[in-house]
Amino acid sequence: MWTIIIIALIILFIVMFVVGIYNRLVQLRNQVKNSWSQIDVQLQRRYDLIPNLVETVKGYMTFEKGTLEAVIQARNQAQSARSRVEQQGGPTAEGGSLKELIAAEATLSGSLGKIFALSEAYPQLRATENMQRLQEELSSTENKVAFARQAYNDMVLTYNNAQQKIPAVFFASAFGHHPADLFDVQDQEAKKAVKVKF
Amino acid sequence: MAMNFWEAQRRARLRTFFMLMLFCVLTVGMALLIEWAVRFFAQEGYTPPMPYLGLIFLGITFLVAGFYYLAYRSSGGSYVAESLGGRQVSQGTKNFKEAQLLNIVQEVAIASGLPMPPVYVIEAKEINAFAAGMRPNNAAITVTRGALELLDRDELQGVIAHEFGHIYNGDMRMNMSLAAMLMGFFIILYLGIRLLEGSFFVGGRGNGKRSGNSVALIALIFLVAGVVTWVAGAILRSLVSRQREYLADASAVQFTRSTQGIAGALRKIAKAEIHDMPKAGMAYAHLYFDNHSFWSSLFATHPPLEKRIAALESAKYTQMS
Repeated sequence: MWTIIIIALIILFIVMFVVGIYNRLVQLRNQVKNSWSQIDVQLQRRYDLIPNLVETVKGYMTFEKGTLEAVIQARNQAQSARSRVEQQGGPTAEGGSLKELIAAEATLSGSLGKIFALSEAYPQLRATENMQRLQEELSSTENKVAFARQAYNDMVLTYNNAQQKIPAVFFASAFGHHPADLFDVQDQEAKKAVKVKF
Repeated sequence: MAMNFWEAQRRARLRTFFMLMLFCVLTVGMALLIEWAVRFFAQEGYTPPMPYLGLIFLGITFLVAGFYYLAYRSSGGSYVAESLGGRQVSQGTKNFKEAQLLNIVQEVAIASGLPMPPVYVIEAKEINAFAAGMRPNNAAITVTRGALELLDRDELQGVIAHEFGHIYNGDMRMNMSLAAMLMGFFIILYLGIRLLEGSFFVGGRGNGKRSGNSVALIALIFLVAGVVTWVAGAILRSLVSRQREYLADASAVQFTRSTQGIAGALRKIAKAEIHDMPKAGMAYAHLYFDNHSFWSSLFATHPPLEKRIAALESAKYTQMS
């Protein structure tokens, strides 16, 4: 009789323990998803602003057609990389990878930076209110992405650590958890992209 | 040795805690002192079983403080901003600087993980800003027109991050509770004065000289206790407030990962000569980004600007990595 009770208690204890791990991992994954959506919103806002920018700039920077086309192309690439991340089910899904998006973002930042650098040579363009607003909106979304990225990366670190610790490591993949990708910028590459083209 | 902002924040919190303990010790100590003084000076052997006078002192102080605290709490940040003549910046503002301000507030809200507060602008020429409201979800941030016009984007971001630091660290709440405590001490002082007047009146009519004397004695002790606690409390409050300013500067560095914006803003303020914050706001002066009131430095709610700039530039808050 007693042995049955003790065994039942031990089983109950183990079940509770596993349920605890399960719940914690789910909670962390939701937090990662939430902080990812913070970045995602800003990325989309940025992609929406860029056609406006090109439209505004086009009339003035007639000689820089190639640069403008490069920005549009970089924007479209980043846009489709972003949709692919979404199709995969976000950075927490199995095989969910941000690498392509990170690279596309770096190229986009580089070519955007180039447009703003070139626009210095067109004082009339810089004086227009539209251009000032666009530049402000774009640099603000860039700041928001940067700040949201800090929060996202902190969350990913906590989530990945929670998966890799013993005993969670024995259940994590069975419960459908995979290490999430960090969203780190390739600062060097972004800078190089601007520099090389000068 | 380099000290990062986490360490700077930990130290500032520790010092604040120490000063709050001093505040409690001051109050309770004064209650004991009153009781002791009355027992010592009373001619007809005042030895009741309970320390009534000390308890009265504690009771009055905390009742008044509690009353004021509740009164302060009921008025949110927007109320303070509007009572100082602030105008809320709407999402669809046509003014470029105001749109930029909203963007910056959103950025820092993301960086600090706090909700986006309503933003107000005051038509004053000096560079200043303040956060008001007891909790993060009823806080409001107010910026002067001067700050919008004279600061560049990074500097304005530093100032906004400093105000978010106050919201993040719960400083408005602490300021208000200290102000409420001071009000309690002030009421004791006021009671002492009224009682003293009353006792002279009673004594003057010759209606039992001894009772008039003992009332005068108690009144005098209350008066002295009120003055001592009020002055000591005001000094302590300004010490706490100054610590919280350093803490908010450190938080600003934590949010923006840069010391340059906020240090640049402080330097511009140090050079500026216009001081035209609304006078009606004196009661809220401790909330301002910079408070250059006529108070002596002993009672100042803000550290000198040079010291704040030096703390920022000595890499005190910058990360070691």
